[in-house]
Amino acid sequence: MFDATSTLSLLALLFGLGLGYAAIRYRVEGNPLVDQIDAILPQTQCGQCDFPGCRPYAEAIASGEAEINQCPPGGQEGVDALAELLNIETMTLNEEHGEPEPKRVAVVDEDVCIGCTLCIQACPVDAFVGSSKVMTTVIAQECTGCDLCIPVCPVDCIEMVEIKPTVRNYIPDIAELAHV
Amino acid sequence: MSEFAFKGGLKLENPYPADEIDLIRIPLPDKVILPLQQRIGEQAKPIVGIGEHVLTGQVVATIDDERCAPVHASISGNVVAIDEQVMPHQSGLKALCITIESDGKDDWVDTSIGCTEHYELCTPETIYNKIRVSGIVGMGGAGFPTHTKVQLAEGCHTLLVNATECEPGITCDASLILAYSTKIIRGAEVLFHISRAERAIIAIEDDKPEAIALLKKYCNNDRISIEEIPTKYTSGAEKILVKSVLGIEIPSGKFASDVGVLCLNVGTVVAIFDAVVENRPLISRAVTVAGNAVKVPKNFQVRLGASYDYLLSFTDLEEGKHKVSMAGMMMGIELKGTNYSVTKNTNCIFVDMDEKSAPAKAKECIRCGLCNTVCPVDLLPQQLYWYSKGENIDKAVDYNLLDCIECGCCSYVCPSRIPLVNYYQFSKALYRQQVKEKEQTDKARSRFEFREMRLERNKRERAEMMEAKKKALKEKMASDKAQKDIIEAAVERVSSSKSDTEEQDGN
Repeated sequence: MFDATSTLSLLALLFGLGLGYAAIRYRVEGNPLVDQIDAILPQTQCGQCDFPGCRPYAEAIASGEAEINQCPPGGQEGVDALAELLNIETMTLNEEHGEPEPKRVAVVDEDVCIGCTLCIQACPVDAFVGSSKVMTTVIAQECTGCDLCIPVCPVDCIEMVEIKPTVRNYIPDIAELAHV
Repeated sequence: MSEFAFKGGLKLENPYPADEIDLIRIPLPDKVILPLQQRIGEQAKPIVGIGEHVLTGQVVATIDDERCAPVHASISGNVVAIDEQVMPHQSGLKALCITIESDGKDDWVDTSIGCTEHYELCTPETIYNKIRVSGIVGMGGAGFPTHTKVQLAEGCHTLLVNATECEPGITCDASLILAYSTKIIRGAEVLFHISRAERAIIAIEDDKPEAIALLKKYCNNDRISIEEIPTKYTSGAEKILVKSVLGIEIPSGKFASDVGVLCLNVGTVVAIFDAVVENRPLISRAVTVAGNAVKVPKNFQVRLGASYDYLLSFTDLEEGKHKVSMAGMMMGIELKGTNYSVTKNTNCIFVDMDEKSAPAKAKECIRCGLCNTVCPVDLLPQQLYWYSKGENIDKAVDYNLLDCIECGCCSYVCPSRIPLVNYYQFSKALYRQQVKEKEQTDKARSRFEFREMRLERNKRERAEMMEAKKKALKEKMASDKAQKDIIEAAVERVSSSKSDTEEQDGN
């Protein structure tokens, strides 16, 4: 009787110590689900989902505060991917938040720009280069096409330009190959 | 004869055999159009203006990118336009081109400065740079910048000169050997000097006895050997050639340089010789014109940028509606019309009669598995087809889509006439786009997070600064108070002592 009790107690103690150590050693920082959701979101940081960026929206989805269909840049594919990740039924994109559009970049009309720096403050990814009272320009590779700089410009010198297909990024049309 | 063989591939007859495959030099074109976007690397930027007079071999566009070769004027004359022109590409999209109108003189830039025959006195770095500024890219069709390739293979043990034709029907490499066999041998010697290769193997198909005899005649270097390989399609592809000549299999995602082999096309070797010894940049290439609308297939040495029409005017074409494609019957890209110019990777122009070559309508896959047996790189074309068709790109990549060399063997044997290669090209393009988008979203995420962090930091720093200022002010006020107290005390002391004196005076 004593042997059995002491053996089991010892085992329980050992396992307990092991688990306790593992809990500290392999502690997960933050919510991994938020990271997974954030990885699917397009990182446009446009705020069309009513949250101030992709990460806050991911946090809202994870905590159940927001639906998965509020991201127009992600498109229907994005909604489907989120549904698959969360193992819930997919839904159609909520058009109240906007419609998916082809990717664009901001272009500053440098002759008109007055150097007010309002766009620099509005840009969520620091894609603008400039300083007060000098001309401002956009680093095209960094621009996510979020449109947030459009309303703040007092002289309307920013235009969103669609990215033209080139020989290098051309994708053949699979529909043309479809047969029978 | 090579002892190694590769699985798959196709034994194909040359559909357009020619009695003579001599390289024909044609007169200078009146006008050349030079695309600034080459197959690999960023688009070059023009460094000449409209109306400027340029000399043959003068750099007209370049970019500060390691992976990009500069563009040279291929004739002397005036720059008449820098505008968007249709590219010889399946998309039919336009890209920036420089148009030069010939002055008929073909005045060259100064070609006397350089390594010349005494290239042994130049350092390998000088020669790498010479290859780069001469605008040399892989002439077999892939267009990979040669200086990068040579530099990557610096420590290689074997130099493999690819003298096999890309596809049946193309004879430009054979004609190049007939015309420039000494240049090929001497070009290999230049490469010996800049790489650590101990031997060079010139691999050539056994159906070209004339070219083989000529190479053997002029080769008097013990380190260079000429190896005949069986004539079988896709043996000209780099990975396959390395395997069939040396018995080395290049791992997935790696290059010949990773297994210590520097593999270059004969055209590239000739261009290296011209650049290093003769100081002439790449301004012309050999092009085959063949197809069922061409009465006699011919090979031309033509200046880059010459139009297809100009080239075709030297051949006998059957009357009627033509279908033009760049490269041959297996890997050719169908083009709309003939309004294109010869680029560094145009090895062949195929002109077919439209009605004779109308493609049969594709039918459903019957899962016969023929494509699996002919694939020279051991892939599962049928599986790749299903995944590509369903746009399941991740799965296709799992099945090694990226190792596909787009040789077209699978499409050729398919009894249902499914354009399999086109599906793979689509999947690859989609995959490249996905990778690029992933990169961009990752960058946007980190920039957004950095901005949040920066704003937070600024706020904190400002708060800290305010706090510090407040504290300093308080201290100052406190010390002011102490000062005041001292003064007050002094004033009091003085006044009290005064009153004391007054009192004493009163006494």
